[in-house]
Amino acid sequence: MNLAAQLPVLPIITPLIAAPLTILMPSEKFGGRAPYVWATLVAWAAFAACAALLHAVATAGPISYHLGDWAPPIGIEYRIDLANALVLTLVSGVAALVMPFSFRSVRAEIDPRQTSLFYAALMICMAGLLGVTITGDAFNVFVFLEISSLSTYALVAMGGRTDRRALTASFNYLVMGTIGATFFVIGLGLLYQATGTLNMADVKHQLAGDNNRMVEAGFAFIVVGMGLKAAMFPMHLWMPNAYAYAPSVVSAFIAATATKVAVYVIIRFIYSVIGIEFGFIEAAFNYLLMPMAIAGMFFASIVAIFQDDVKRMLAYSSVGQIGYMLLGVSFGTEQGLTASLVHLINHGMMKGALFMAAACVMLRVGSHSISAYAGLARRMPATAAAFILSGLSLIGAPLTVGFISKWQLLAAAFDSGRAWAGFLVVASSFLAVIYVGRVIELMLLRPPAPDAAGVKEAPLSMIIPLLVLTGANVYFGLNTELTVDLAERAAHALMGSAR
Amino acid sequence: MTSASSFITALAVNPAVIMTVGAVLGALIPNGFAAIRRPLMMIFVAMSAFQLNRLGLGEFGALSIFGEPVTMLRIDPLSRIFAVVFHIATALNLLYAWRSRDRAQDFASLAYPAAALGGVLAGDLITLFVWWEIAAITSVFLVWAPGTRATFVAGMRYLTIQVLSGVLLLAGVVLVYRETGSFAFGEIGLRDAQGAMKASGLVMLTAFGIKAAFPLLHNWVQDAYPKASFSGTIVLSVFTTKLAVASIARAFPGEPELILIGAVMTIFPIFFALIENDLKKVLCYSINNQVGFMVVGVGFGTAASINGAVGYAFTNIIFESLLFMAVGAAVYRTGTSKATELGGLYRTMPLTMAFAIVGAMSISAFPGFAGFVTKGLIIDAAGEANHFLIWLVLLFASAGVLEHAGIKIPYFTFFAHDSGKGPKEAPPEMLLAMGISAFLCIAIGVRPEPLYALMPYPEAVADYHPYAPYHVIEQLQLLLWAVLAFAALILLKWYPAEVPSTNLDTDWFYRVPGRGLLGWAVAAVRAVWRLAWRLFSTRTQEIMDRIYAVHGPEGALARSWPTGFMALATAVILGLALIIAFAA
Repeated sequence: MNLAAQLPVLPIITPLIAAPLTILMPSEKFGGRAPYVWATLVAWAAFAACAALLHAVATAGPISYHLGDWAPPIGIEYRIDLANALVLTLVSGVAALVMPFSFRSVRAEIDPRQTSLFYAALMICMAGLLGVTITGDAFNVFVFLEISSLSTYALVAMGGRTDRRALTASFNYLVMGTIGATFFVIGLGLLYQATGTLNMADVKHQLAGDNNRMVEAGFAFIVVGMGLKAAMFPMHLWMPNAYAYAPSVVSAFIAATATKVAVYVIIRFIYSVIGIEFGFIEAAFNYLLMPMAIAGMFFASIVAIFQDDVKRMLAYSSVGQIGYMLLGVSFGTEQGLTASLVHLINHGMMKGALFMAAACVMLRVGSHSISAYAGLARRMPATAAAFILSGLSLIGAPLTVGFISKWQLLAAAFDSGRAWAGFLVVASSFLAVIYVGRVIELMLLRPPAPDAAGVKEAPLSMIIPLLVLTGANVYFGLNTELTVDLAERAAHALMGSAR
Repeated sequence: MTSASSFITALAVNPAVIMTVGAVLGALIPNGFAAIRRPLMMIFVAMSAFQLNRLGLGEFGALSIFGEPVTMLRIDPLSRIFAVVFHIATALNLLYAWRSRDRAQDFASLAYPAAALGGVLAGDLITLFVWWEIAAITSVFLVWAPGTRATFVAGMRYLTIQVLSGVLLLAGVVLVYRETGSFAFGEIGLRDAQGAMKASGLVMLTAFGIKAAFPLLHNWVQDAYPKASFSGTIVLSVFTTKLAVASIARAFPGEPELILIGAVMTIFPIFFALIENDLKKVLCYSINNQVGFMVVGVGFGTAASINGAVGYAFTNIIFESLLFMAVGAAVYRTGTSKATELGGLYRTMPLTMAFAIVGAMSISAFPGFAGFVTKGLIIDAAGEANHFLIWLVLLFASAGVLEHAGIKIPYFTFFAHDSGKGPKEAPPEMLLAMGISAFLCIAIGVRPEPLYALMPYPEAVADYHPYAPYHVIEQLQLLLWAVLAFAALILLKWYPAEVPSTNLDTDWFYRVPGRGLLGWAVAAVRAVWRLAWRLFSTRTQEIMDRIYAVHGPEGALARSWPTGFMALATAVILGLALIIAFAA
């Protein structure tokens, strides 16, 4: 047994073992540095493992790892192909930047006695999200989903120290998240009833396009349950408050990863578990996913325009952006799927950077209300620059990843003969121009508030990760080899596996 | 369908994009480090030239954008010769104003040539349109550079006309697409198969004609160009009109109307140039006249005449900017370009004077200089086509060129009455730029073969011998008579005296009576607009109120709903999903 052969399990097992150890570390001694350094190292290790996995999958093809050497379909299988290797890299990459970023922000917002608990929960959340993504076992998805969700509820509630509304937000999230998870597990149960197996590939094999009510109902429950987790419009109502009142670091991490993982699960179940040869999938694309995607693109973006709270605005924007991903999926073409995967990765980068910038402002100005951003370009130039660049990326300006996403989506729309959908994408992008433009205008042109005289630039420990992620927004906007090419191959493979 | 990455790859190979990147990087350099701006830009020009040379002939950057094939970069002999001379001119202009520290002007001095280069190399009409507009927008910074109220207003007028040309081009692109079903940029022609005029051709030719400054569409040249800074005028003089010539040569070779238009173009500026006092304006009229020769060459449409037109454009860019540089050097040292205020500078600016004379002899097509080896091709084409009248006009116009550009410019700048200014010689970088231009004028004049090899139809010039006795004698006779006429006019004091005056051109018609008409039209439009806006804005206000009621922070869509409602919404969606799944 060598380490390389065990590589697939490392991103999961490392944080899962490391998290309980974190609780043993002193919260208040050394200013809370011990759990912070530990969590950072673990996140980096997980990222290294995920990057190695992505490299291995990109060069040598899918990997199947049998947990405890129990052969599937009885044992649990980790199955890594390009699609989930990309998502794994995104999740662990964001974690690897958020962890070093977190120190000052956590010290300012979290009760010092809870520091080690906080980092433990954050690590468990990461492990859960990675587990959902990596596993090839349908029930295992549910298990990891609950692991990540439960820790997220706790993390959101920790924002209660600065804003009591975090407690109700967390409670609402808990109720809704549980409904979503319940629907999902009901759907799994129905599929299990129909096939007698829980291994994804085996379910697909057993179904073999054999249509019955049980499968149809199972599909509906799974899509709605996961749609709720992904904040698909109109089941997004839990999300704006959860993102707005959670501690800044938590917002940055879950906004960049959690909904993206849920979208990935929807894609995975449609293509690799159920298979698109079923007639009802086509109907679900046309009558469920597409209308809701488009409604989300517009309604959520318009709501974002009127928000007075930047974090809430970004949260509503995420609902709209999830719309773009689902729209790509709903085309039912390989290109649409590519666009969806590309936007999934790219949106993680932009939203992560934007929420990190919001965390810097929260640290220095002490508020995430939009008025806190007035005249910020002069006080916090690096943060403002990062916000503007990532904001441009969100809009889809050329030379940023946002442009690549929009381009792929437009190309997919036109090529599948839905030019009107392309126009809707462009039209809704103008809404993004407005809501991002509002903040940019405030930062650049308005005079700073008089009580913000002592505001200075965020500390380097925050600025460096923020600029790295912002730089990624530009770098992957120029060099699309990693994202687009791999997403194309991933989409091709998913399409191939679906037939 | 093209992916975004292949779009970016296609951009990266394009020399014009390389130059544009250089311009943007240059503009980003903070003012404290302005000294490295031009060297940096020069490196990008060199990279662009290297890339052009590396690619060789062929089509690159083929993409399909939403189902339509697009060729962003086409290097064929016609575009290559323009691309080569654009690089030469860009580099010389950058060198000439080496000490410029004006951010906007430095940016425009590279971005605008880059756009013209991109337009010349465009293989399809969409790409052409994009560069066409970029050239219009970037060039206006050169007009604005002096920063006075007059230049601002002139810049706005200039921009209006340039954008009008762009809009017409876009309309033409749509018409061409409807007609041919493709965006490829090839021969368009003015007539369809039945010999009737085509709307697409006319609209396209008007768009090109505005930029080429066809007669009656030419006033923007004299209006805007002289108002730019001395180095800005030189940059402006090179690119816009030549981009138009390249486009006309590609789209409308052999259209007889062009012969007439071109012939008028060669003649009418001469009279204005003779009585004009501002030497920069004289040179601007000379641009019109020179482009006229090229348009005639395109109009004949034979291989030899197209060679002539294109080759003349090549050499013209070099000697015309040499003349502009010489006048510019005088302006730089004395602060004026009025013939009445200049004169006698030969004593203190001998090198500039010598270079100006090389430019003057080239533009007048003296044997041994660059103009001679290319102009003959056009005039010969007129002779061969038995267009006696046109041939005569071209000869007369050539004599006119000698009068206003060949003699007037150097005479009134460096000789004539002594202005007593006695300025210093031009600074070394200007002398170097002028020296290189002058060297090229002579080198091409003496050894035209490399230029002939670059021409679109090299086989058609294979047995053309510019120094055949017939050519040389014809040209020398013409030149001698013209010089004699000038000498006689000066001696008899019949030559229009240098008087500080403003000459009315045809733009009087649209500036004075036209202005009244325009004022009335503006008032009428404004009244209608106000009415429409009032109706629209009340309606918009109502709609916005309604949107805000639903989407605003307290609106139904943005409120924090109780969990019960959220659960209900989820159940409704689940029901919907089940119905859809069951019904399908």
